[in-house]
Amino acid sequence: MHPPNPDKNQLLAVLQVLKKYNLKGTEELLKKEANIDESVESQDSDVSSVLTGYKSDGDPEKYEDCYMELKRFIESSLDIYKHELGMILYPVLVHMYLELVYNGHTEKAINLMKRYGPEQDCYYQDDLKKLALVTKRDHMSGNELTDTFKSNQFIIRMSRDTLSLLKRHLHDKKASVLMNIVQEHLYFDMYEGVARNKIQINATSGAVIGEATRQDNKTKVYYGLPKAPDIQSLAAPVEDEDDGLDADAPDKPKKKKPKKDPLFSKKTKSDPNAPPVDRIPIPDLKDNDKLEKVKALREASKRVNLNPETSPSICCYTLLNANHTVTCADITEDSSMLAVGFSDSLVKVWTLVPQKLRALKTANQLNDINIDAEDVLVRMMDERSGETSRSLFGHSGNVYSVSFAPDRTLLLSCSEDTTIRLWSLQIWTCLVVYKGHMFPVWDVKFSPLGYYFASASNDRTARLWATDHYQPLRMFAGHFSDVDCIQFHPNSNYVATGSSDRRVCLWDCTNGNHVRLMTGHKSPIHALAFSICGRFLSSAGSDCKILVWDLAHGHLVAELNGHNKPIHTLTFSRCGNILVSGSLDCTVKMWDFSKLADDSSSEDVNISHNPEVKMGDNYLLWNYGTKNSPLIHLHFTRRNLLLAIGMFDGISQTST
Amino acid sequence: MTNKSSPDSDLYGTNFSTESIKVIAESIGIQSLQDDAAKELADDISFKLKHLIQDAAKFMHRAKRIKLLHSDIDSALKVKNLEPQYGFHCAENLPFRFASGGGRELHFIEDKEVDLNDVIQNVNTKAPLEVTLRSHWLCIDGVQPAIPENPPPLAKEAQKIESIDPVNKISKPNKDSANKPSARKQKLKNTETVQIKQLATHELSVEQQLYYKEITEACVGSDETRRMEALQSMASDPGLHEMLPRMCTFIIEGVRVNVVQNNLALLIYLMRMVKALLDNQSLYLEKYLHELIPAVTTCIVSRQLCVRPELDNHWALRDFASRLMSQICKNFNTSTNNIQTRITRMFSSALQQDDTLPLSSLYGALVGLIELGAEVIKTFILPRVTTIGERIEVHLEGPQVSNIDKIASGHIKQLLLKVLAPIVKNIIDPPDHIETYQLNYGYLGGALQAAVLKARAQPVMATTTYSNVVCSPNIMQQSFINTNRAIVMNQGNRVTTPTGNQKIVFVTQRPQGGGQQQQFSQQPAQNSPNTVVKFVSNAATASTQKIVTTQQKLVVVGIPGSSASSSVVSTPSVVANKSVNLVPKASEEGQAPPDDDIISHD
Repeated sequence: MHPPNPDKNQLLAVLQVLKKYNLKGTEELLKKEANIDESVESQDSDVSSVLTGYKSDGDPEKYEDCYMELKRFIESSLDIYKHELGMILYPVLVHMYLELVYNGHTEKAINLMKRYGPEQDCYYQDDLKKLALVTKRDHMSGNELTDTFKSNQFIIRMSRDTLSLLKRHLHDKKASVLMNIVQEHLYFDMYEGVARNKIQINATSGAVIGEATRQDNKTKVYYGLPKAPDIQSLAAPVEDEDDGLDADAPDKPKKKKPKKDPLFSKKTKSDPNAPPVDRIPIPDLKDNDKLEKVKALREASKRVNLNPETSPSICCYTLLNANHTVTCADITEDSSMLAVGFSDSLVKVWTLVPQKLRALKTANQLNDINIDAEDVLVRMMDERSGETSRSLFGHSGNVYSVSFAPDRTLLLSCSEDTTIRLWSLQIWTCLVVYKGHMFPVWDVKFSPLGYYFASASNDRTARLWATDHYQPLRMFAGHFSDVDCIQFHPNSNYVATGSSDRRVCLWDCTNGNHVRLMTGHKSPIHALAFSICGRFLSSAGSDCKILVWDLAHGHLVAELNGHNKPIHTLTFSRCGNILVSGSLDCTVKMWDFSKLADDSSSEDVNISHNPEVKMGDNYLLWNYGTKNSPLIHLHFTRRNLLLAIGMFDGISQTST
Repeated sequence: MTNKSSPDSDLYGTNFSTESIKVIAESIGIQSLQDDAAKELADDISFKLKHLIQDAAKFMHRAKRIKLLHSDIDSALKVKNLEPQYGFHCAENLPFRFASGGGRELHFIEDKEVDLNDVIQNVNTKAPLEVTLRSHWLCIDGVQPAIPENPPPLAKEAQKIESIDPVNKISKPNKDSANKPSARKQKLKNTETVQIKQLATHELSVEQQLYYKEITEACVGSDETRRMEALQSMASDPGLHEMLPRMCTFIIEGVRVNVVQNNLALLIYLMRMVKALLDNQSLYLEKYLHELIPAVTTCIVSRQLCVRPELDNHWALRDFASRLMSQICKNFNTSTNNIQTRITRMFSSALQQDDTLPLSSLYGALVGLIELGAEVIKTFILPRVTTIGERIEVHLEGPQVSNIDKIASGHIKQLLLKVLAPIVKNIIDPPDHIETYQLNYGYLGGALQAAVLKARAQPVMATTTYSNVVCSPNIMQQSFINTNRAIVMNQGNRVTTPTGNQKIVFVTQRPQGGGQQQQFSQQPAQNSPNTVVKFVSNAATASTQKIVTTQQKLVVVGIPGSSASSSVVSTPSVVANKSVNLVPKASEEGQAPPDDDIISHD
């Protein structure tokens, strides 16, 4: 028989699982194929140990010596290899600890952890603290962290030379404990080239389960923006003094493009990195949407481009009397409405412009309206119902995120009550309750093109939905912990997620695969923002760092430090030159993104060559503090005025 | 416990102790929990709780907070499919109170008693304020406008740095010219190098100049409403630091000129400006104290502050300025500048002077000291009451020398009586014999005795707070045995807590086993008239009580089922009428309170 004994054990384990779930057919099939007869499956304990993967007959005394030996070897090795080799210490310690705990040597395990835990890299300390809680075998079942370690290999990127050095050492020592762990629980992603130094390693390590493999980032990503859909056929109704427009009468075919108007001359060249327009189905633009687009372009032409020479203006909306009850906020693309979610299940919408929030007329009244009238959309609204703010009731738990549809008629909210709700901003009621997530939903975002939306949840999945389906279209599973935040790529073909497993992931909406996996954060990620050009992704979270990633190959481009409390909101200016971050430390910081992009594009970057990570605060342009108001949301208007939503914290001010 | 708080590593935090588990078990009726069972439970509970807190932290982060709230714990429980903790609610900070006695320390949460009747009857409960949206400019073209919605342009810390090292300010704007000094430095290298402190320039913009003009005019002008507005602006505007030196100069020069001219009204206006500056939280006033304190002192002790001393009420100015002085001491006293010590010394040395000190100045020195608190009064004024009494006796009783002196003496007498009565009340035990008073306090003795008697007769103003703390019987027992006479908590001599929160601590003892109860009831019963728990609390009452802030309050311990406890309730005359919420009516008839309550009075 081909497979040696250990493999047989595994097969038996699989059989047991099949039996457990009563999958008779498969069981029979497997038995036949693997040539196993009933009599063999006897040792139950063996089987369960294969399932857990931690059964070890190693002498508990040996573990500490073994670890010491490994440490000594690493310290005595050459400086160029030392740091790469050092990467295995943490996973080895973790698995040694879990093995000891699993086999009932609690005392030994605690000693090992106490002795070597504190000397691990500081970004692993949080996880070590969580692991240290686990001191008994039954603590391990259902524990998120130990399950993750148990069922996944810890990924370590290593140069060929370092890896061969390590292998030689393992071979020489023949320490079975270590060999086992390395074989079972570690995965070495080898690359050709020079071994990395400590700074390079630190930049990308920190995720729960090690770094991303090269394989993870090989798929091509269409990060470019497709040509804007043609909107000129409708441009004319917006009568203007502009000469170029007069020629562009509504009846003229769209092929005849008047190049005079600078508004429409942009984006004529197609981006080589843009996805094909029909890559994902997108609903057709309605006339109204096209009008809106024209309006937006017109506004954009009046935009002040921000750069280090032109200082920004910020308008701050401070929520008063809202001590710790505000959880999220969103502003419509045209900056006319603000939605705020509260911890008492309420969603409230304010208008930010003189126009009040009106409701639709009743059905009877709507009957009387002449549908052919020019201003039918205006006539539909009941003038008398105008209010400056409206409340939406329906959730039964903290509202964790709100998101406006691009056409401003719909609003999404997600809540601790595990549901996502779609609200109409015309009749001001809930339209749909999307149930699917089993645990609190942390984030929800509308696609920039509308129709689609994506959600992130405590159940470790992110999901893609369409407003007219009550079930999700795609489920993005793969994170080891909560998915904390989600963001659509500007071309709507991808979504990015940030998770408590400290990884940023880019998913393809068409097939649900992950196409980029980026590690480097040291704490849960709370905010994501795509650059206007679509090539870069910035992320930030509890570790107070802003990381900028190049989606072309998934490299870390820059690490921006400056905040000292968790960052919860990130946004790019409409011109794409400035990255703005808002944090709980009550400051808004503006970073020179155009300089950053220039600096990084000048370097030769390919998949195997990691660019140098840019650090330091020489990209920081401005820093503005609010008066004890943590920043909840940031938004640029079409003319590049920054709107900031803060929540005045009166309690902690008086107590200090 | 194997892994109990090892100092070398914080990977293993603290665990519940087996004792805690046993106490909890007892509280739910399990009398004898075995040691190993308790340990097993303690480990498991610690593990589960730590997990719960980890999960709760997730909810905290998602709610964009950095403070864990009870609702986060509830949410974490819900996710685990467990029943959340109903009935706990707290919108604000939960300060742990601390109490110690008999070598044991106790941390507990203050739990205010709620009178159900009040809740039921009071239909107009205050609704929480509605969340409102306020829009304002955070910055305009890169410049942050100095409006109340924005943080002060220059943080207090920065003002402090600037005041300590003015070079700091200069180095920033002159970045370009940084080469110059270094070049000069090189030239001078061979000769002697002297570091000259450069002067920081304070340039005022036109708007600021206008503002300064408006404010100063309004403050000393004749329009009272405008003055109020100006003072309000001075007390609250965050961007005043740039014109602060000028404001101070204005005040100081104003005092100097108006004291000479005896212009009482203007002096009062100027002192009100000082008050406004002191109230402004965003100013770093330390830099100007050396100028402000002499000005304020002048207004307290100057020989003459008005044109007609016999008619004008310059006493009010002295009182007001004294309060300012005590506020300065409170706000700015540090161990390095010793402001309070220096000011106390200044006033007390004025008291030491002989008859050459004018009576108005004497009054000033007295009121200055009095505002500094009860301890100061005890140390510096009480010993001199006799001497002062002799001095004013001449003017009050003797042949009329001058009307001015008589009025001044009258004011001094009134002041002393008002202030000393509550203090003397605690020093001299009743009964109050007039002889003792006259012996101790000379001329003022008689009047003082009358005042003390009056003070004793008045019901004591005290707010009683009361809370339940269930604590382990061991702690209770120990504290009772060790300190069956007096527990003195926090014997601070200076109470300067500005918030006026009451710090009274009460412990309720649950009825325990019979033996223990016996112990409780017997021991204090013998000493019950002396069983006094003292502690300090600020007077939450009106300003008339201000001076007695450090007075110690008595706490009387009532004992259940003990016949002796009736004497406890009846001994101090003040007990019964203040213990409405705590002791049922029956206690007045000599019945013991139903629970071992500790009741407070002052």
